[in-house]
Amino acid sequence: MISEHRSGKYSQYVLPALVLVVFLYLVVITRHSLLPFIISAAFAYILNPLVNYFTERGFRRIYVISAIYIVAFVLILLLGYVFVNFLSDQFVAFHKNWPAYVEKLKVLGQSLNAKLTGRFPFLAQLQPEIQQKIVPVMTAVPQYVLGTLPALSFLFLIPFISFFMLAGGGAIVTFTLNHIPAGKTEIVLHILARIDVSLGNYLRGMLTEAFMLFVIAFTGLSAMGLNYAAVLAIIIGISGLVPYLGAFVGVVVASIVAYVQFGTLMSVMKVVLFFCAIRFFDDWFMQPYIMKRAVELNPALIVFALMAGWEVAGFWGIVFSIPVTCILKELLLISIEIQETEFLWKPKPQPTRMSIPYT
Amino acid sequence: MKFLSFFKNIIDEDVKKKTDFLRETKIFDKIPGRKLVHVLGALRERDYVKDEVIFSEGEIGRALFIVQSGRIDLYKNMPDGGRKKIASVNPGEFFGEMALLEERPRTTTAIVGEDTHVFLLFKIKLDILLYSKPDIGVIISTRLAKIISARLRGMIDYLESGERKNDF
Repeated sequence: MISEHRSGKYSQYVLPALVLVVFLYLVVITRHSLLPFIISAAFAYILNPLVNYFTERGFRRIYVISAIYIVAFVLILLLGYVFVNFLSDQFVAFHKNWPAYVEKLKVLGQSLNAKLTGRFPFLAQLQPEIQQKIVPVMTAVPQYVLGTLPALSFLFLIPFISFFMLAGGGAIVTFTLNHIPAGKTEIVLHILARIDVSLGNYLRGMLTEAFMLFVIAFTGLSAMGLNYAAVLAIIIGISGLVPYLGAFVGVVVASIVAYVQFGTLMSVMKVVLFFCAIRFFDDWFMQPYIMKRAVELNPALIVFALMAGWEVAGFWGIVFSIPVTCILKELLLISIEIQETEFLWKPKPQPTRMSIPYT
Repeated sequence: MKFLSFFKNIIDEDVKKKTDFLRETKIFDKIPGRKLVHVLGALRERDYVKDEVIFSEGEIGRALFIVQSGRIDLYKNMPDGGRKKIASVNPGEFFGEMALLEERPRTTTAIVGEDTHVFLLFKIKLDILLYSKPDIGVIISTRLAKIISARLRGMIDYLESGERKNDF
């Protein structure tokens, strides 16, 4: 009964509030170092169901995580070896043919420029201005690429941090849950379960979809005889992790490669038709199965989330925008639900007529 | 021998104890042993200490509680403002099953009688189990229906015996 008597006092929230403020202050002052930890937490969250699969079957957590890491390391080495050998042919060919491609693009650019300025003379006035804006961007590209190189250290840092998050995360969650006030445990766990289900379904769906996009793109582009099909399929698969980006990147990059390789508009049309077919297949067959239990997000909301993510945190903002939107949407739904049930905003109807007796 | 002890360390005996316990509970006793891991994956656990109030009468229910160890007492609010103990839930028993069917106010207050370890099953986790593992879902739903029916019969008998008039 003691816990009930104390539950009404606001003084009990002073210390947790103070801890929260200190925690948020630490987050703000260390925000530039947080990125690898956020990515590691996301990576650990994605791996967690696999770890749970084995722990629920009676294996100790630390051995399961170690085994998964060892198997993943060996697989990455093997796949890397096979892939480097396989892709190296494409890279060598790409490197060899590059001067010819550049020349072809230059000729194409010049003829297009002549045609456009012939038809629309005002474009000739805009040309120096456009060049002035594009040239610095183009020259900055190598610098930008070099600037992302430190991010490669994440490749080693993230699995390392994730390992310890996976190993110790369960104990921290259990400790926290055991120290939440008893009366609040049910609602806290309910909210966590709802977020976990929708976010987990979404992430698993996205990963499956990206992998399927890679397989379909690789098969289709190879069948068309397009060069660098594997490289293109990898780019399409990775960009497929961001909604709509996979198909868009795919159609643009593959169309350029097709035009440069075959030199006809028909080849570009084939590529465009192929990606339309992928989009159709994705929307009508894959998504209803893969994403059937995920949070349904309106396409307009997805676009807004992507733009907001870019504005807030650049590239990583885009990567995390949809999962964060999932969490926010679920929190909004739970808030509405709590208002309706706890405060009786909208009482739920009885499932049957109560006057009929139990027979 | 060290080699063998390494393999012994890999196995978590605690998981076996939990699945053995779940096999003994009325709600999961018809589920084949190897499939109980799916049920275990859907459950959350928590320790409660004596006198903690798990939920109060009138609060919205969201989970079923299965007592693994310890004891939880269920109380009913009385018109005079006091409360009367109407039942004790012991290891292997469960309460709060209505929360799996509808989000309605709890009909009793649950207070921990002695230090207790419980499993919690939330409606959303049960829904996933029903759809992803229908063979398990059918068993749980049927058991749940039978248990609720039995408790309803018990309540009718209780009311008919006139005890309600004296007790409440």
